[in-house]
Formats: sequence, C-alpha cells, structure tokens
Amino acid sequence: MRSDMLTSVLTELNGTSADIEASGVISTDGLMMASALSAEMDEDRVGAMSAAMLSLGDRTAQELARGTLEQVLIKGKLGYVLMTHAGDEAVLTVLAKSNSKLGLIFLDVKRASASITDLI
Amino acid sequence: MSHNFDQLTQYAKSFTGLTEEHEALLKEISPLLIPYLSEVTKSFYEQLSLIPETQPFLEGRVDSLRAMHTQWLEGLFTTDFDSTYTAGMYKVGDVHVKVHLPVEFMSGGMTLINGQLIPLVSNNFKDDPEKCTKILSAISAATGFSLLIMQQSYQEASLAEELEKFLKISGMSRTLFSNLADAYKD
Repeated sequence: MRSDMLTSVLTELNGTSADIEASGVISTDGLMMASALSAEMDEDRVGAMSAAMLSLGDRTAQELARGTLEQVLIKGKLGYVLMTHAGDEAVLTVLAKSNSKLGLIFLDVKRASASITDLI
Repeated sequence: MSHNFDQLTQYAKSFTGLTEEHEALLKEISPLLIPYLSEVTKSFYEQLSLIPETQPFLEGRVDSLRAMHTQWLEGLFTTDFDSTYTAGMYKVGDVHVKVHLPVEFMSGGMTLINGQLIPLVSNNFKDDPEKCTKILSAISAATGFSLLIMQQSYQEASLAEELEKFLKISGMSRTLFSNLADAYKD
C-alpha cells in the first residue's frame, strides 16, 4: 500500500516535466522502495549506487564544511542524475535529460521529497 | 567472519605437498631436534635484529616473542597439520595485520627459519642422505604450509581493514556496501 503511494508520487513527479526520465525512492541501505524506471534499468544497481553516492555526498559536504547536504547532482553528456534525501531513511533519485531546465526540476524534486518524507 | 579451516587445510596441503608421511617423519625426529630449537629461535631473532626494518617490532618484546616462537617451532615437529593447527596459524596472520607487520616479514622470517633448520638437519643426518632429504622435504612442506595459511589470513585481514577504513571515510554502512556489491555481482 505504502509502496503504491510512493509509486504514485514518483509517477506524478515524472509527469510534471518531460525532462524527467526516471525516478526512484531508495532506502539509505540502497534497497529500492518504489520506482518509475524504464525497463532496461537495473533497480538494484540504481538503488545501491544512488544511496552510495548520497552517502559520499553527505561525507563530502561535512568534510569540506559545506553544511547539511541538500542534493548530489551528476552531469553526464546524456543527462543528469539528481539525488536528495527524502527524510532520514530514504533517498530520492531522479534521472533527467541533458537539456533539462534544472530550476524546475529542483523545485519538483523538493516537493516530491517532502511528500515521500510524509509517507515514510 | 567464519572460515572453513578444513577446506583451507586441504588447499594449503595441495600447494605444499605436505603428506601424512611428512607429518609422521617430523614427529619421529622431534626428540632429536627439539633440544636445538630454542637455539634456532635465538639465532632467528639475532638475525632479525640485524635488519633495521624489523627493529621497531622487536623492541621490548623479544623475550615473549622468543617464547612463542620456540613453542610454534616445537609444534612444527609434533603437531597434526589439521584444521586446529590451521585456525591457529590463521590467527597469527591476523595478529600480524593488527600490529601492522609488513607482509614480507612472514616469508622473510620463514626463509630465515628454513636457513637455520637446513644445516641442523644436515648435520644430524649426514650419515643417511636419503633420510636427510626426506626430512628437509617434510620441513619445507610444513613451513610452506604455515606460511600459506598466514598469508591467506593476512590478505583477508588487510582487505577487511581497508574496507573498514573505506566505510568510515565514505560514511557508507556495511549493509549499503554489501547491497552495492550484490548489485554488481554479475
């Protein structure tokens, strides 16, 4: 049930912008809780890699005195990966196109993250 | 971490060629050689003390190290090379990592010990070259067996220590690391 509600938040998030290609909610241990990914993506790898990157982001922000981590953004030639905390126990990961309007995506992701935090 | 010491014992025997005949031979000659072993240990530590890199590991500990070493050396001629012995040598390798002993000290040390035992056996069995050869072969297999176990343990303990450091630096939990590794198993 809760998984369905999380999936519904992700589906809504993916629908807010054509730039968002996929998203997932992952436990801080790297296990997928809910996802709206394309069929060719490996849930286990997306989950574990996202949680690992966010964990490293947390440590980097702390180590380099940047305050509490807000997000980790990875830019590749083919697009973006955006990871952010959704409460203390989950990670929200979003995959977006390379020509995305990041400002809008940040806003939508922030809202989705708040909804997920409430659900968890 | 649990280990299958029976399996490791067989693995080490397959590499070193240590046989039941070797073990029996070592036990047979033990009454003759054991009286010399404290002297072998003494010479071993004298040689070690000449190597500058080993000195920090010896300072203030030589007497206790000597006692443990003599006990192990005597065991080489009296023990059954089974999973219990393997578990003991495994622990020794583990301790070597904990005290940050460089890896080459183990093979270097074993070479020094063989270097001491070879003339000892040669002198005591000079009238029976065939037996002398068999004894030297048995000693080589027994010390090689011990070294292989220690190195196996050393390698695993080193990796575990490195992983611990990585987890601490990266902030990753052990569970997350394990899930990450599982995700990339294939």
